Amino acid sequence: MHEDMADRPVRLVVTDDLVRSRATVLFRLFLAIPVYIVVAFWSVAAFFVVIVAWLIALVHGRVPNGIHEFLTSYVRYTTRVNAYFHLVANPYPGFSLLGAYPVDVEIHEPVRQRRWTVFFRLFLALPALIVVGLTGGVGGSLNLRRDPTTTFAGAGTLGSAAAFLGWFASLVRGRMPRGLRDVGVYSLGYTAQTYAYLLLLTDRYPSTDPRFAGQQELPQHPIRIEVNDDLGRARLLVLFRGLLVLPHLVWLFLWTIPAILASFAGWLIALFIARLPLPLHRFLAAYVRYSAHVSSFLGLVGGPFPGFVGKEGSYPIDLVIDPPERQPRAGLLFRGILVIPAIIVAIAYSGIANTVAFLGWWYALVRGRMPSGLRDIGAAAIRYQAQTWAYSFLLTAQYPYAAPTLERLPPEPEQLALDLAPWAAT
Amino acid sequence: MGRHLTARRLAVLGIAAVCWAIAATFLLRTAVPGDLRLRHVDSAATFGAATVRRAARYERFGNWDWLASQVATLGVLALYAKRGAAFARQSAAGPIGTGMLLGMVGLALVWLSNLPFGIAQHWWDRRHDASSEGYIAWATGDWAQLGAAFLSICLALVIVMAIAQKLPRMWWLPGALVFVAIGTGFQLLLPYLVTLGTKPLSDPKLLAAARADERAQGLPQIPFRVEKVSDTTDQVNAYAVGIGSSRRVVLWDTLLDGRYSKRVVNVVMAHELGHHSSKHLPKGLAWYALFALPGTYLIALATRRRGGMARAEAVPLGLLVVVALQLAAAPVQAWISRRMEAEADWKALQTTHDPQAARRLFVSFANTDASDPSPPTWAYLILENHPTLEQRVAMVEAWAARQPRK
Repeated sequence: MHEDMADRPVRLVVTDDLVRSRATVLFRLFLAIPVYIVVAFWSVAAFFVVIVAWLIALVHGRVPNGIHEFLTSYVRYTTRVNAYFHLVANPYPGFSLLGAYPVDVEIHEPVRQRRWTVFFRLFLALPALIVVGLTGGVGGSLNLRRDPTTTFAGAGTLGSAAAFLGWFASLVRGRMPRGLRDVGVYSLGYTAQTYAYLLLLTDRYPSTDPRFAGQQELPQHPIRIEVNDDLGRARLLVLFRGLLVLPHLVWLFLWTIPAILASFAGWLIALFIARLPLPLHRFLAAYVRYSAHVSSFLGLVGGPFPGFVGKEGSYPIDLVIDPPERQPRAGLLFRGILVIPAIIVAIAYSGIANTVAFLGWWYALVRGRMPSGLRDIGAAAIRYQAQTWAYSFLLTAQYPYAAPTLERLPPEPEQLALDLAPWAAT
Repeated sequence: MGRHLTARRLAVLGIAAVCWAIAATFLLRTAVPGDLRLRHVDSAATFGAATVRRAARYERFGNWDWLASQVATLGVLALYAKRGAAFARQSAAGPIGTGMLLGMVGLALVWLSNLPFGIAQHWWDRRHDASSEGYIAWATGDWAQLGAAFLSICLALVIVMAIAQKLPRMWWLPGALVFVAIGTGFQLLLPYLVTLGTKPLSDPKLLAAARADERAQGLPQIPFRVEKVSDTTDQVNAYAVGIGSSRRVVLWDTLLDGRYSKRVVNVVMAHELGHHSSKHLPKGLAWYALFALPGTYLIALATRRRGGMARAEAVPLGLLVVVALQLAAAPVQAWISRRMEAEADWKALQTTHDPQAARRLFVSFANTDASDPSPPTWAYLILENHPTLEQRVAMVEAWAARQPRK
């Protein structure tokens, strides 16, 4: 059961229109330096203020309004700066919070917090910080041993990969691809949630659930993921997951060899007939589906032990793959080059999947179930990786959609109200 | 009709039993003279009273630890045989995939139930300087073996269940043959796997002695390899692997660290070559075949009431039967192994003509390997796959007594 969006104490509000100024994109790295200097000074102050806030919250069970406001401003400003740096937003964020910004954070008024969660906040935040930290990339993420004045850029490897690719796209097109932008939104949003939690602005745990990540529109794609998992996990199967998956890894390895040969043969044939022959399409679709099943099982995104043939509808985390379609020959000819950006994002997603597996393993071992947020971001990672495989194996001509989205929701052009709040109730 | 069928079955069973007995008799032939009588050896006088006490104490713990672990294994598997089929709900695979899952879960349960006993044994080994490996290294080193065991059980179940789906009542016959074929392939392949990371024996004197031993035993040149184990233990060991052209002898580097003279090491080398010249490894495969046939038949028989091995639900019961049969066969297998080891000892004596070195070697085992020269009867019957040190020293003396006086 998910919480009501209105109850979520940390909300990311996105009104970005995807348009980017080529000149500022080109020099974005240098343009960001002054605002990051401001963030650095602000971080020093925030470090001491949060210590005071911690002591007060331990005694009174809540953070005073003034301190709450100060730390909220800090989170908002750093989120704006990071959004600018990672090309999630276009306008220069300036040196204050005056005026609206296309990516902003709304944080609820201070509320009473349980004292024990305040006392152990740093330790409780560790899993969330691992998600932020293990996915840390060029933007620089939280490092607990680092100088406390260091900013939390925290957009992570995934966000950084999206920013890196988005930089090229924005320079050429003057527009940020929506999928890449939404990857950045997700990363920033999760980081903002985590730091709001760490800085005692809320006692709601951050949620990794991609449903809250503002990808309000998932374009129709020939490769779709279906999640029919009940979140229950048998502890014994969790404990030995790494060993139980071994026969699947061996089988997947053996299957990969003919799959690569088949895709090469398919590529040669498709160059002539402009589509993948049906038998090869079936064979490769089964392979891609099977690898998604195995990834789900290994990463605890799926519960049961999967079958060995990649049969559609046989696993709770399943792929729907449309029949072969006609494809432009130029796209087929250069598929090996065109897929490279998708592979970069897929590699970044594998970091997310590994983190999900690591944290989910501990959680599921103790609770006998998987948190829905972790499960869903893991499913989103698997979906993207499957789309990348499918694209490289010529199963589709449609490029993988980068945003960590699972559901197709109606578009909301007016405003992307993004709630990045709490750990979804399970 | 029914009586006729039973009579025919009994006839087939009788013929099979006779064939089995003939094959077993053939395999039991040994180079050790049938009239060899071993005299009693005074352990305290031969090995030293303190050493015997220490070795007996060391092995006593291991024996009871093993016994307890077997009881735990059987208990866990009995429970699993009763309730384990419920794990099939955790599978989205077909019958064979589900069977694999149930097999692996059973193995995981056995591993978990044995873990405390393994830790206890490791603690005991460290306490008695039989191992210097840390607990973490010990635990992590085990994972690779466990992974291999998981894959092996999957392979076995794929074979059994795939055949059982085609031949629900007779799968055991081709199944056993396939396992023997796999065992043969494994014996051919194993020498290349176990010698990964080993180095060739480089001592020229030992190499010359090895070549002389090979000639004496009518063997071609067999590669001698040295395995580094000195960073985890100071116990000594050597083993023979492979059949045909893949034959190898592997010596632990602890054997070559200067504690043993070249004469003693030569006895070890001649012993291992004795295994090859006596064709113990092919004979071991033949024994495996002899046990596999009735074994698979009994598994098939026991699992019929669960629908047979074609059904995943029968796998937990199948696992219990396998382990129970292994336990039941352990005394016979230990006895066969002891006969082979005795034959290799005899061949080593015949080759080296060095009873002093052989005696020194066996006496030292009580110290270096903390082997009990005279273990309790039950442990001897079930666990000892080598003759006891008393018996080995007695054989040396018996061999020497048979030699003409110079």
